[in-house]
Amino acid sequence: MDLIDRYLNAVAAQLPQDERDDIVAELRDLILSRFEAKEEQLGRALTEDEQEAILHEIGHPLVVAARYRKGPDSLVGPELFPYWLFAVKAGLLLMLAVQAVVLFINLISGPADAGQSIAQAFHGFFGTSLWLIGAATVVAALFEHYGVRPKWLTSWRVKDLGAFGLSDPAAWGASVGAAPKVKVWVGPGGKAKAWPGGDHLFSFLATGLFVLWWVGVIHFPALLHIDFRGADAQVSGAPVWTTLYGAILLYAVAQMAVDLASLARPHAVRMRAAAEVVIAGAGLWLTWTIFEAGHWFTLTRDGETARIAGDWAMLDFERLRAVGDGSRDLAGAAGTLSVVMTWVLAIVAISLVFKVVANLWRLVQPEARRDMRPAA
Amino acid sequence: MVVGPELFESMRLELRRGSLVLAVLARLREERYGYTLRQALASDGLEMEESTLYPLLRRLESQGLLTSEWREEEKRKKRFYRLSPPGEAMLSALADEWRGISASLDKIL
Repeated sequence: MDLIDRYLNAVAAQLPQDERDDIVAELRDLILSRFEAKEEQLGRALTEDEQEAILHEIGHPLVVAARYRKGPDSLVGPELFPYWLFAVKAGLLLMLAVQAVVLFINLISGPADAGQSIAQAFHGFFGTSLWLIGAATVVAALFEHYGVRPKWLTSWRVKDLGAFGLSDPAAWGASVGAAPKVKVWVGPGGKAKAWPGGDHLFSFLATGLFVLWWVGVIHFPALLHIDFRGADAQVSGAPVWTTLYGAILLYAVAQMAVDLASLARPHAVRMRAAAEVVIAGAGLWLTWTIFEAGHWFTLTRDGETARIAGDWAMLDFERLRAVGDGSRDLAGAAGTLSVVMTWVLAIVAISLVFKVVANLWRLVQPEARRDMRPAA
Repeated sequence: MVVGPELFESMRLELRRGSLVLAVLARLREERYGYTLRQALASDGLEMEESTLYPLLRRLESQGLLTSEWREEEKRKKRFYRLSPPGEAMLSALADEWRGISASLDKIL
């Protein structure tokens, strides 16, 4: 096999089957033409090194073959890259928040080795971050490959851009602090308007992350282990989670579907409100069922067990104030977590009630779409 | 401030990139195969790498702007390209655009 065949075989292996012979035949003619021209110039046959130098000039087989590709040249092209970057930044911040909550729970549970908890949090963050970046890249690559451009990428409006500042933590203070540093579009009514898709995008990402964890695609090992004075305490779910597994999954997927529909049609207020009422109602039922079960998790260490469980009696501000004052043993940690869990369920229930009421209000309100042009 | 040679080369290539399609279409008003087309462009001062030119020819053909046929010449089969009727219309439109851009830039420069 001579140099040309070896070179062309390397190119051919990268080419699509239906065009391979045609492209290789044309490249062969090009190479032979280049060899002949050089031989004519030198007045003699080319040495192998001289032939190789010409093949080098034509280019590496992978590069030459890549130029014949019909699809996109990159996984994330310049058009999609800003969106990809935003999704990754927002997702990373979200994961950082999740890991911070997990770390907080571990630390208040009285670990003997706080360093290990912090290391676990870092490990969890970097592991899930890699997964997130990979997933965002796969989605972007699919968009590039099939030329997909969702409506919310192309039909944007200036008033919808507020939430994009959230990928910069330095701008967060503007929404809750006193002096806003970012300029926000103020509508004719004088009230700042938020991007209607912003909440849905974050809700979609957060719920998606939860669903992936719920079905076992991603893992947060720190959620299942708490370190007590050097001994590993395992966290196991109570039977209520098994009973409600399908219902919770359905609830989360339905929430994601509503978020997705809301991203596609951010101004379909009534349709979204109706769906949100149903979903929030389902959430209330789930929260109530979980609360009523009374037993949520069990901590196990060296054969010793302690239940994370609660009832109405724990909804007492004195108990909440005393969180962290409990003993540093397994039972004390379970007691602390029981109070935290009870209050979390109560807050979730209250927020769901507000959600139902707010969306019922939107349903009965007349449809109002304000003209987006600023007043002259 | 001194202009960095790498930055200049990158901007020069960017500037040339779009105009090469116009040059290829213009040169293919006359039938040529890849090697002679590249030589013709080089003699016009428009050097083009083979790994850029050959895929470009296939792309323009798939877009209906060129036609091609395999024929034997100098004891070897070669693929000859020439401008198709839609390619002629495209060349005319792009040439007008080019002259417009050139005139505008001349005014500024």
